[in-house]
Amino acid sequence: MKTWEFIIRRLFLLIPVIIGVTIITFTISHVIPADPARAFAGGPKAQPEVIERITKELHLDEPIWIQYFYYLNDIIHLNLGKSYLESRPVSESLAQYFPATIELTIFAMLIAIPLAIVGGIISAIRRNKLSDHLTRIIAIVGYSLPIFWLALMMQYTFAYQIPILPLEGRLAIGMNAPSSITGLYVLDSILTGNLDTLGSALYHLIMPAFTLGFATLALILRMTRSSMLEVMGTDYIRTGRAKGLSERTIIYKHALRNALIPTVTVTGLAFGGLLGGAVLTETIFNWPGMGRFAASAVLGFDFNAVMGFTIIVAIIYVVANLIVDVLYAVIDPRVKLGGG
Amino acid sequence: MRRENNLKKKASVYAIVICTILITISFSGCQQQEDGKITIKNPNIFVRYDIGDAKTLDPADAYDTGSSEPIFQIYETLVTYKGNDTKTFYPCLATEWSVSNDSLVWTFKLRENVTFSNGNDFTAEDVKYSLDRVLIMDAPESGVSWILAQCMDTNSTTVINEYEVQIKLTNSYGGFLALLPYTVAAIVDKEYVEEHGGVVAGQENEYMKLHPMGTGPYMLDHWTRATELVLVKNPNYWGGWEGKHVDKVVLKYADEAATRILALKNGDADIVYIPYANLDDVKDEKGIVVHPFDSYDVVMCVINTKASNNQYLADGQVRKALSYAFDYDTAIENAYNGYASRFAGAIPKGMPFYDTQNNGQSFYNYDLTMAEQVLDDAGYTKSYDLDGTLYRFNGTTIRIFYNAGNAEREMMAIMFRSALDDIGILSSVIAEGWPQLLHRMYTTDDWDLMFIGWGPDYNDPDDYIFPFIASADVGGDTYNTGYVNETVDDYLLEAKYTAVSAIREAAYKNAYDIYIQEPPFVFLQQRQYIRPWRDWVQGYSYNPVREWYYYDYYKAYE
Repeated sequence: MKTWEFIIRRLFLLIPVIIGVTIITFTISHVIPADPARAFAGGPKAQPEVIERITKELHLDEPIWIQYFYYLNDIIHLNLGKSYLESRPVSESLAQYFPATIELTIFAMLIAIPLAIVGGIISAIRRNKLSDHLTRIIAIVGYSLPIFWLALMMQYTFAYQIPILPLEGRLAIGMNAPSSITGLYVLDSILTGNLDTLGSALYHLIMPAFTLGFATLALILRMTRSSMLEVMGTDYIRTGRAKGLSERTIIYKHALRNALIPTVTVTGLAFGGLLGGAVLTETIFNWPGMGRFAASAVLGFDFNAVMGFTIIVAIIYVVANLIVDVLYAVIDPRVKLGGG
Repeated sequence: MRRENNLKKKASVYAIVICTILITISFSGCQQQEDGKITIKNPNIFVRYDIGDAKTLDPADAYDTGSSEPIFQIYETLVTYKGNDTKTFYPCLATEWSVSNDSLVWTFKLRENVTFSNGNDFTAEDVKYSLDRVLIMDAPESGVSWILAQCMDTNSTTVINEYEVQIKLTNSYGGFLALLPYTVAAIVDKEYVEEHGGVVAGQENEYMKLHPMGTGPYMLDHWTRATELVLVKNPNYWGGWEGKHVDKVVLKYADEAATRILALKNGDADIVYIPYANLDDVKDEKGIVVHPFDSYDVVMCVINTKASNNQYLADGQVRKALSYAFDYDTAIENAYNGYASRFAGAIPKGMPFYDTQNNGQSFYNYDLTMAEQVLDDAGYTKSYDLDGTLYRFNGTTIRIFYNAGNAEREMMAIMFRSALDDIGILSSVIAEGWPQLLHRMYTTDDWDLMFIGWGPDYNDPDDYIFPFIASADVGGDTYNTGYVNETVDDYLLEAKYTAVSAIREAAYKNAYDIYIQEPPFVFLQQRQYIRPWRDWVQGYSYNPVREWYYYDYYKAYE
């Protein structure tokens, strides 16, 4: 099977995945006896006509399967409905929050991936030496530290005790965001030639990106180390050494390429996971991303917002898995896509 | 020789570490001036960190605190409050006003030479347009139009001349003047609104939600949802910019308390919201002021008095006993860190006619002996045996609900359960999400006690006592308690539909004397309002009806 055929087939699989995800999420969110219409209309102060209007808009007076039918119909028409907590269409909220999360995730990964892979290689080739112990300690610490604690400590240290980094947010207090082209402030600042916002956006990314990247770094580092160790013990590496190949050629040309397959899997899934939003990091650093949005939507029974978020996350996971599968074939030509 | 070198190396490492620590300490916290005071960050920008973003900037459909706050800075009303004074109505866009003897016709003379921030003139046409607009739009998102619709319709407002309007009420209403300082009565620019969608019955104006235009001191610079809302000076403001004011106001939205606390400590924030439980983190901090103000935010334990739900709670004597069984003072100390006071009756302290409630003194105090006495006298003696312990009400369990995540109410619910156990009443504490609680309260009717709160819409007791105590038959009973006393209803209606102070006072007193003997609520606390601020903030004062007025604030050491 050709690569493009494989990609199209997998993309078609998105449809049943999304239907399945919406059925599960819709059912879970709607079976709990609650009165979201009254909550959105102002709680005890709600006026009857407003409650009635919201009830009609959300079809809350219909059986659940009819509500789901309406919802699916809206989705087909690319209408994710209205977020009652934010009093605007869900698509508008997602258009604001998703780029914020993408930006944070990309920078977290830019920190995590190179450090983790280099650290993993060093750790593997200098096994049981000081550098191995150090990288393993970093990995264990990164893996075990609760991310909220790390985030709070980072803030306390670098925004209060040694105030060299901004405490929170995406830009300096009161600064106008760059004209929205992609919603990624760094990219938009470059595209619009706005150096002030570019500097501010990068400056504000340092702490949250490092915090988010640290846990991922630990995961990738451990995976790289263990697969490198496994590969370094194989016959073809010994053969390479016997042939007199340089250590650099053995490590980077033969060992690393084979060791990267599990690393790519882990990285891809971690990337997908982070794109779904990191609730704690986003909340502590006041980063207006998907995680914060989803958490408040769930707590506020904002059905449409929860469903919109869920669909986006489902798509992200499917696409992330697809990219990982394609990368397998790129890294290792022996891998055939589509199992053919 | 090698040993010596090693020692030198070690000494160098120690020196570097010590220097780093010293540099770190010297850097720590905020930068200091020569006089020892902390350098003011962003001296011309006032920054507030809080929770709760705005939903809309259209005053005709705003009914939440997050939205009201920026609207109060951008728009103005005919009359207003100043500083922390809730007793006096001050001129704003109206310079003087008068009322007819029957309290039905109000005449307002308007301020001249006022322009909106876009330069358009403010006239009587704008007043009529604004008030009619609220009633025609009918606040489709929030329902807030009810505040004006209580006593006005689209025929009420008449333009007398360019700077004079007359408002003829559909019925006399004691709290009419108190409605006018609320955001729903803010004046919009007729020409501007007509250019941007105009008024459509039953529909919100999407443009006005995001593009406000008023006569107030500040105007919108930008609003990034869930992040910040920034206001800048309105150059056309009629009050002028003489004296000390900030150029810019930044309202930051941050969900995490720890982030807000650090923002205050490092000087990024000038004033922040901090939960009661975390106030100790900043209380003794240098450069930070923690000062409580009396607010109109009240907390009650609502009682479901419907016999169909619980026959015992339908008896006023049982409700009276419950009022004796709550440890009010301990709750204030434990749940609110001491930052609350007793809520004496349905009218909060600070509002007109508060003293009609037992001269402002709480009728019930924590007294378990008295609670048991009341129950015994009413015939509810202990008889049900459970593990050797006797209980009342044949072992019926009273279910106490609160909204999950509210730590203060959780603590009070647990305290109450313990006290009820002491007087032989079985009870359980149940936490539910807010929409679930509302469903339970209004749809299922399947609840006994519920901890809940209320905040002000406008500064008149009718905004509290009527929805709390009047029955559903006359448009009250907001909490679905099922409480009905026709005599009380008559008094409350009498107080509602007159502007004569003496009549209102007598009616509220008479109503109180009846309902307090069979209370549908355990009246708990009136919370204090605390927003710790940096000591460089000047001009800040708290008004429970109109919390913020940034025009008065500036940053300096004085």
